[in-house]
Amino acid sequence: MASRLLRLGLLPLLLVATLRPVVVQAQGETWALTNARIETVTRGVIEGGTILVRDGLIVAVGTQVSIPASAVVLDLGGKTISPGLIDLTSTLGIPPRPAPQPGQGGGQGASDGAMQAARMFADELEASGETLRRSREAGVTAVLVASDRGLFRGLSALVAMRDTLDALAIIKSPVAEHVGYQSGGFSSYPGSLLGVISFQRQAFYDAARYGLVMDRWRSNPRGVSRPEYDSQLEALVPVVRGELPTFVAATKENEIRRAVRLGKEHNLRLTLLGAEEAWRAIDVLPGSGVVVSVDFPRPNQVTGWGFGGAIPSLPIDSTGREEAARKMIERNPATLHDAGIPFALASGGTRASDFVANLKKAIAAGLPREVALAGATVRAAELAGVSSALGSVEVGKIANLIVSSAPFLSDSATISDVFVDGVRYVLPPPPPRRSTANSASGRGRAGSAAGDTANVQFGGAWTIVTNSPQGDSESTLTVTQEGAVFSGTMVSQLGSSAIEGGRIEGTKASWTITLDFGGQSFSLTYAGEVSGTRISGTVTAGEFGSFTFTGEKRP
Amino acid sequence: MTRTLIAALLVITIPAAGQQTTDGWDSDAGPLAVAIPPAGRLVAITNATIMTASHGTINNGTIIIRDGKITAVGPNLTVPQGAEIIDGTGRYVTPGIIDAHSHSMAEGINEGTLSSTAMVRIEDVLIQDRTSIYRQLAGGVTTLNILHGSANAIGGQNAVVKLRWGLPVDSMLFEGAPPGIKFALGENVRRTNNPPRAGQDRRYPFTRMGVEQFIRERFTRAQEYRAAWQAYDAARSNLRRGEAQPIPPRRDLELDALVEVLEGKRLVHAHSYRSDEIYMLLKVAKDFGFRIASLQHVLEGYKVADEIAAAGTGASTFADSWAYKLEAWDAIPFNAALMADRGVRVSINSDSDERARRLYQEAAKAIKYGGASEEEALKMITLNAAWQLGIDDRVGSIDVGKDADLAIFNGHPFSPAARVEMTLIDGRTFFDRQTAPTLDRLMREIEQSKQAVPDSEEGSR
Repeated sequence: MASRLLRLGLLPLLLVATLRPVVVQAQGETWALTNARIETVTRGVIEGGTILVRDGLIVAVGTQVSIPASAVVLDLGGKTISPGLIDLTSTLGIPPRPAPQPGQGGGQGASDGAMQAARMFADELEASGETLRRSREAGVTAVLVASDRGLFRGLSALVAMRDTLDALAIIKSPVAEHVGYQSGGFSSYPGSLLGVISFQRQAFYDAARYGLVMDRWRSNPRGVSRPEYDSQLEALVPVVRGELPTFVAATKENEIRRAVRLGKEHNLRLTLLGAEEAWRAIDVLPGSGVVVSVDFPRPNQVTGWGFGGAIPSLPIDSTGREEAARKMIERNPATLHDAGIPFALASGGTRASDFVANLKKAIAAGLPREVALAGATVRAAELAGVSSALGSVEVGKIANLIVSSAPFLSDSATISDVFVDGVRYVLPPPPPRRSTANSASGRGRAGSAAGDTANVQFGGAWTIVTNSPQGDSESTLTVTQEGAVFSGTMVSQLGSSAIEGGRIEGTKASWTITLDFGGQSFSLTYAGEVSGTRISGTVTAGEFGSFTFTGEKRP
Repeated sequence: MTRTLIAALLVITIPAAGQQTTDGWDSDAGPLAVAIPPAGRLVAITNATIMTASHGTINNGTIIIRDGKITAVGPNLTVPQGAEIIDGTGRYVTPGIIDAHSHSMAEGINEGTLSSTAMVRIEDVLIQDRTSIYRQLAGGVTTLNILHGSANAIGGQNAVVKLRWGLPVDSMLFEGAPPGIKFALGENVRRTNNPPRAGQDRRYPFTRMGVEQFIRERFTRAQEYRAAWQAYDAARSNLRRGEAQPIPPRRDLELDALVEVLEGKRLVHAHSYRSDEIYMLLKVAKDFGFRIASLQHVLEGYKVADEIAAAGTGASTFADSWAYKLEAWDAIPFNAALMADRGVRVSINSDSDERARRLYQEAAKAIKYGGASEEEALKMITLNAAWQLGIDDRVGSIDVGKDADLAIFNGHPFSPAARVEMTLIDGRTFFDRQTAPTLDRLMREIEQSKQAVPDSEEGSR
């Protein structure tokens, strides 16, 4: 089939089609965005410039653009236009799958959790217009979607934040094979980090041999016994041949070092995804793509915190050290920039509004604003392999644009318009700042007034029963709710934990606690549906998988 | 070595953000690192009692260290000009302690899902900032044999490390140490105390018979696998012009490791308790033509000491830990000394980050219970452990040419009052009690912070 298409000269067309769907439907109007300060990202800043947008593409940029009569002219009065943000760490639109339950080990269960290399995220996506709107309004106009769990996670898709995640939204698929270090369950191989890494190593060797055997058979099957088809290895063949990039979720120092070793061992085209401790492993970064998450970890979550036990002058409850560590963590992008390492910036999986807030933190910690903007636009486009189509304000590129009141990512900038594929989305004016509410940062941003009235009342004391594999455990959740956010504590036999990121959306409540076990901390994220005095839902426990919980409000 | 140096430099040059703090904390290394001791020093430890572990005790002796190696040891040595002096007056110097059985500094120990996980590697999951590492340094420990757990008959590959505290984890690996692997026998492998969860299949093997059969089966597979590769290599070298390259056999990382065992390139460290299973494993190894490098725990080793010695196998045991499960019932505190008497090279291990901090006291028990000589007891936590790990040409005794891995005690290491004052690895001081955050010091700080005026600018030191 492929060879016949090639003979007919159709294959290149198909390839173009997968890279960017042929635009058959109107992409909105022809726009002339005039009187703008244009941050092209790749070609400097144009003061008093005009961008002409037609059929979803940028067709002219400059100070001397002739405006066709058919264009709708938008005089921006000196506002700034920047390329739309591209977030390479998104799970947006992936429908939830039940996590493998402990005890269901063996056979199919093992492969379900561990080997998903052939999974195509582009085929699965579904998202509400509301979710897409929230991303868009924060300035995120394209996201790379892949699961954030599992060992071999599948093939990611770069999608545009249009009104729906339909076929037209797919900018590129597959972008990369995504690999991570979390095992799917407890009871089947691989059941530990040890096994996870060995499983990956073996899979890459298997894929290389599979490619060899298949090529041999396909090129001349005569006299060769037919090899067994394996869809997962089939998906990994271009990966081990360096034809398709591998994105390895590696946030901690040792994960980064491990991933680089893995990449070298198998000649992968490696991009590190997360890289929150990249400043600790600068020596191994050259040669790999680096996507730096700005979802900064807490000081006691990073490698090196444990050295505190041997710092001679360290007071037991040093807030000074914690502050210094926090600065160092937020300086991660700036440190990489100073070291001359190119990188993209990504949200790390937070909400789009937090992505922007965290980008500002990185800038406050010393990263030049222009570098931050390039990191979240053109550098991301490069790593996704779409820099000829996306990521900067250049003629011929997709018209994904942000219009802001001041240079984007500066403190005073607010977004007024976002263009995705040339379609204009006008944002409501920002609400006047309340003196008590902090500006948008942190995970618990209060919702709009309209949202508040629809939110369930979750405040009070709850008895929560967590159905962990080790048995049920009971804890007391004490909640103080303020609109769409809440704080409080969760007390169990393991001690008392402060609630982090407590959030109410309609009848859904979610929060996270961090438990400390002999110097190791791990997070439990609760997400449940509140119905009167009852709640039920799931607990996600990092590499330990997920399980269910129920709760009852105390009278 | 270059890599180590570069890594060290990187850690040192990490910007020390926010050193000026109001709560008394300050560190040149920054908040998420520790200062790395300088390398390449010229050091003389003078006027010390030197327990060499290989050639007796030297009174009023001197050790000269240059570029991380011991270049001279003895009485009446001239201290070279420019040498940094460590005054050993009243102090005892021993080789750095080697723990032949550790599960320290790893983010995973057991891949217990399969009965053979020879493909998994502890090296892949090491982590460097655990405080327990520093506490082990404070107990004079310089080298660890980090082993896979004992959940399965054929466990994962070990990692031998030096406790170069503060360096990136890759720089802690013991360069050139022979690779090894964990085997296990008995109750843990049979899952006696870990029954399957509801809905989970029972894992084969679950009797001692099955364990032997399983190990034999895997090595038979490994032999077949090796033969397949040999056939492939032969076919490739006899390839005639115009013939297609043969397809290589599937590379199997589990069997790769077992082939290395068959070829004597990978050392087997086998968790074992009962004499019958010890004897079984020695026989299996003999049948397949390899040597068990060490038996771990080996609490009934005294019953089959002659057989262990004849197999050239080491024994790494506890000093006096017993009766914690059925198969540990016949353990006796004389085990280490009895095995040593019969010519077994015995080490005493910790299997615990806590016990690792006081292995010198564990060794002393071999003297108290078994009448071992001081040097024999010292060897049990140094040279014999090094021999079992195949690194005795590098560490384990205080001899010219060996790595300057040393523990300096405030008195005789087998005294109950002994404590480690300083621990050197490659001639670098990774632990010094003078600057360590001791309990006394922490308690003082707590007291001071209680007395301090709340908004005082004064630090808590």
